[in-house]
Amino acid sequence: MKKKETVKQILLGIIPAIVILLFWFLTTHFTDVPSSILPRISQVGNKFVEMLQNGQLQEDLIISLSRVIKGYLIAAVFGILLGSIMGMSKTITYILHPTLTVIRQIPIIAWIPLIILWCGIGEASKIVVIVMAAFFPILVNTMSGISSTPSGFIEVAKLYRLNYWKTFTKVYLPHALPNMLVGLKLGLGVSWMAVVAAELIASLSGIGYRMSNARSLMNSDVVIVCMIVIGLVGIIMDKLLTLLFSVLTPWEKANKK
Amino acid sequence: MSEEYSLEIKHLNKYFNVDGKSVEILKDINLQIKKGEFITIVGHSGCGKSTLLKIVAGLVDYSDGEVIRNGKPAKEPDVDCGMVFQEHRLLPWLKIKDNVGFGLDKSDKEKWYKTVLQYIELVNLKGFENAYPSQFSGGMSQRAAIARGLVANPEILLLDEPFGALDAMTRVQMQKELLRIWKEEQRTMIMVTHDIDEAVFLGERIIVMSARPGEIKEIITTDKYSRRNRGSSGFAAYKKKIYDYFFQDSAELLEEAEFMI
Repeated sequence: MKKKETVKQILLGIIPAIVILLFWFLTTHFTDVPSSILPRISQVGNKFVEMLQNGQLQEDLIISLSRVIKGYLIAAVFGILLGSIMGMSKTITYILHPTLTVIRQIPIIAWIPLIILWCGIGEASKIVVIVMAAFFPILVNTMSGISSTPSGFIEVAKLYRLNYWKTFTKVYLPHALPNMLVGLKLGLGVSWMAVVAAELIASLSGIGYRMSNARSLMNSDVVIVCMIVIGLVGIIMDKLLTLLFSVLTPWEKANKK
Repeated sequence: MSEEYSLEIKHLNKYFNVDGKSVEILKDINLQIKKGEFITIVGHSGCGKSTLLKIVAGLVDYSDGEVIRNGKPAKEPDVDCGMVFQEHRLLPWLKIKDNVGFGLDKSDKEKWYKTVLQYIELVNLKGFENAYPSQFSGGMSQRAAIARGLVANPEILLLDEPFGALDAMTRVQMQKELLRIWKEEQRTMIMVTHDIDEAVFLGERIIVMSARPGEIKEIITTDKYSRRNRGSSGFAAYKKKIYDYFFQDSAELLEEAEFMI
């Protein structure tokens, strides 16, 4: 029964993809759209294989991914740290919350000009963009997870005379983990988007640069290959993070049963 | 001098600040509880009985008076006094063994686990050491909470309406279990409840409290035969006596209300 349901779910889920591919196929075969605007599916497939074989795709991906990892880790450390402190201390929240809320409203794209002015178009500017983008979702979700810890649990910690650090690691932190996962997933998603955006605007390497370069050469097949790869990498990173957290929070699985 | 007492409370007063106004929660509480006694405290909700327990536990401070717990002033929580809450408050991310052993020194892991197992057995949860609280029923969770309260070998166990959220059948079952544990472990137990039946069944002495401010109206000493036999005339008489207190209380209020109209 359960298995049948999953099969049904998967089959239903791929319907839109099939429809899109069908329209794509029909458009390229029965209209005279030039291939520099919309290439045939087979052309994109061939390009993908070609880019894999000459190693260009991997090279671009590694450059972009290493930027994401650097920026994301920095954002995660600061986001979790500040989110935890703000979640535990009302005073610090009162001090920082208004300013951070205002800064948060500025879209990451709007930061890019200033970041380029300050950091140039080298590596530093990409990483700063990623940190800026990933920091807020991680901060906000960590904070809400920490501050929503039931006071009853904190009272138990008090009853057993746990010190500040132990109360944090044994009560606040595990309670906040599911929220932190939400923040870390959102953060990873936006940092992947941010790196592509930054590379599209100002860069000489990475998958975003590859796309903008291909666009100026009218190589729409390369653009589409890059788009698909960006989407796939995003999903894989998201799933990996989910997997990591299901290992870290075994009690959640027991909960669902 | 206070060796024979687990708890001595003298002229305890407690005020809360509500919207800038000082509200009297507990008024002139005087109480002496001997080692190994089973005390039940009954009263309306909001009569300050839970606050009283938290003061004894050292979780809440008091305005004036004296609270001597195991010969020392109760200023902060200590291992000599365990507590069980109405909601079991087991940490969902810890296995039952880690919840039970939460307040226990873990530097000697073997000794820690041995003690934890001993108390898991005491509350009849053997075999569930590695389960998570979410897999437990209300009664089982409360058993684990009792084990957690006892594991550090406290002189006193405070119980704040521990069976209030359980269904009637489980509640009676748990009352019997608690009685068995009390006999085996010989601790002082102080239990707050709003269930008059429960108060009579368990309490060697029953403290009847009135509300706003919380005051001790009477301390009823029960005899063993009557309290253990729910069908006995003694049991019914104790129940009636307590009922009358609350009834009288509300009758007075009613009159007052009528007068005001």
